[in-house]
Amino acid sequence: MKKWLLKSLGLVVCLIGFIGFIKPAETAQAAEKTYTIGTDVTFPPFEFANDQNEYVGIDMDLIRAIAKDQGFKVQIKPLGFNAAVQALDSGQIDGVIAGMSITDERKAKFDFSKSYFQSGVVMAVAQNSKITKLSQLKGQRVAVKTGTAGADYANSIKAKYGFKVVTFDDSNNMYQDVTTGNSVACFEDSPVMQYGIKQGTKLKIVTEPAEKGDYGFAVKKGQNKELLAAFNTGLTNLRANGQYKKITEKYLGATNTKKTESRTFIGLIKQNGSALWDGFKETIWLTLVSIIFATIFGIIVGLLGVAPNKFSKGLSSTLIYIFRGMPLLVLALFIYTGVPSLTGNKIPAFVAGIITLTLNEGAYTAAFVKGGIEAVDNGQMEAARSLGLPYGKSMRKVILPQGIRIMVPSFINQFIITLKDTSILSVIGLLELTQTGKIIIARNLEGFKVWTIIALTYLVLITLLTWLSNWVQRRMNA
Amino acid sequence: MSDLKIKVTDLKKSYGENHVLKGIDLNIGANEVVVIIGPSGSGKSTLLRCLNRLEEPTSGQIIVDNVDIGDPKADINRVRQDIGMVFQHFNLFNNLSVADNITLAPMELKGFNKAGAEAQAKKLLASVGLEDKFDAKVQSLSGGQKQRVAIARALAMKPDIMLFDEPTSALDPEMVGDVLEVMKDLAKEGMTMVVVTHEMGFAKEVADRVIFVDQGKILERGTPEEVFEHPKNERLQDFLNKVLNV
Repeated sequence: MKKWLLKSLGLVVCLIGFIGFIKPAETAQAAEKTYTIGTDVTFPPFEFANDQNEYVGIDMDLIRAIAKDQGFKVQIKPLGFNAAVQALDSGQIDGVIAGMSITDERKAKFDFSKSYFQSGVVMAVAQNSKITKLSQLKGQRVAVKTGTAGADYANSIKAKYGFKVVTFDDSNNMYQDVTTGNSVACFEDSPVMQYGIKQGTKLKIVTEPAEKGDYGFAVKKGQNKELLAAFNTGLTNLRANGQYKKITEKYLGATNTKKTESRTFIGLIKQNGSALWDGFKETIWLTLVSIIFATIFGIIVGLLGVAPNKFSKGLSSTLIYIFRGMPLLVLALFIYTGVPSLTGNKIPAFVAGIITLTLNEGAYTAAFVKGGIEAVDNGQMEAARSLGLPYGKSMRKVILPQGIRIMVPSFINQFIITLKDTSILSVIGLLELTQTGKIIIARNLEGFKVWTIIALTYLVLITLLTWLSNWVQRRMNA
Repeated sequence: MSDLKIKVTDLKKSYGENHVLKGIDLNIGANEVVVIIGPSGSGKSTLLRCLNRLEEPTSGQIIVDNVDIGDPKADINRVRQDIGMVFQHFNLFNNLSVADNITLAPMELKGFNKAGAEAQAKKLLASVGLEDKFDAKVQSLSGGQKQRVAIARALAMKPDIMLFDEPTSALDPEMVGDVLEVMKDLAKEGMTMVVVTHEMGFAKEVADRVIFVDQGKILERGTPEEVFEHPKNERLQDFLNKVLNV
């Protein structure tokens, strides 16, 4: 029994190790005069993926233009804002340009360039609205996006002007609330708002920027001095030769340039086809790998739970208790951001995602594997043992074949849940379907249509998976 | 009495505060047929299940074929190969056909090849009157047929001891006879048998010895004639009154 336990534990360890090899780590860049620059995953108009899935935006165009002007190369890493700041602090990257405000707190850790952009909070209202001043907001509802300077600003003045604040998780929903008239106004960073309007959001800006802040390019304190100097010189040159103006105009210009992107369903699919296809593949890949590992993990833990051994039973119950009891979202964030800060080793998002799903879905699998085996009449095991068959053989030849039959519907159910749960991994920046949708919407603000496309894609996938599972089930029962 | 097959010494079994067996001493010789009778809950099934360690005794010693089966070093799987067991609810393997039920253990444990195991299975099925059920699914059999297949399955390991745990209690009355016939044949062939049953007729006819168990103790033992015709113990008299005069 102990040997069997050790073997299973060894197998789990091997599996986790194996996941690490599925996606080769990105090779380090060491060419001369190439700087690695971290940025946010999506923060339009400063950085976002365009319809060719290339990173563009004010920050991106600016850093590339400066690099060209100053004769160095950049490698852009869209790590996400917090991850980029942490990576800079730990010296894994050379600089960060991510619409980052220059604050005293940040100056303690980083050296900043001269301000390359001045931002501020503006109020926007529906195009046909008569509201132009803060004082007209009395008794009205105002929309903000959680965690933004706009939200802080609105909350700081709501008592004075007597309005109510409703909070949204993303810009698109916030804009929608104003255009539909539920809220009379919203507060947003001026470049973000300008870009939104340029993209066709039916709002207008009615106030001057308040709470002005400066955006700066950052390097780790005391390091990469020549990079910082080059940035400052390059920025001055760009401002002088008009290139800076061109870049900002491109993203913020008041003229609502005739939309280049088609906004019909077909048009959106055509425009974003390759991004959607990549997201689709990532979702399938995540689903398949997770299903395989979660099933193996679940069966092992489930079998441990029915083994006639107190220790293995306790281990199984504990694993199920912990990983079934923890929300998937929390588990994903814990493994992706929590574990590296404990161990000091970074985990690639894909691996963190697979581990998350393996543990969570595996715990559910273990629970129904255990239940399925326990549902087989005890007399079956007794009869097998009375013939002299050892425990393992009795399990394999008699109990499991009957238990699996009981478990099949639960397995199919769990596969479908796993597929859907991959969407939660968008929080750790995996470019699967949901995250792809978020990024596309961040660019074109076509929330309803893009989510419809994403939702239908999931339905198609789930239909295919259900057909496949039912086919396997029929084959098994034949 | 010939060689000793099973020797039980001061066997006790309790589940927490519930003392099911309170000190059982019992010797069973080769080729002997011992029938255990007693009211429900008296501990007779528990006693039987201790003999192949399906139940872990709380204390006491059980020696089967000179092996102390309570010894942690004893190879219980090996010992069980020589002790066939038949259950009240048959416990045929529901995932296997009749043939596979009978051939599984010999192929896994005794090195039989498929052809050999199947030939043996056919012979055994014929001996229990079910040669036509070789390919049948377990689910298609009647209770009596299932129990006869279960006996054939146990016999396929060529045991020298057979334990029967109320083998006819779950059967419709018209099925009981067929199963008892098979058991009588076995007894005639000289199989060592320990049978827990309520079939007093079978006990009278086939048993070499009858043991009366009540409240975890053996209260009376003797030949069928002694036990059924001249019961000494009051509780046994009581019990026989109830089961024989229905």
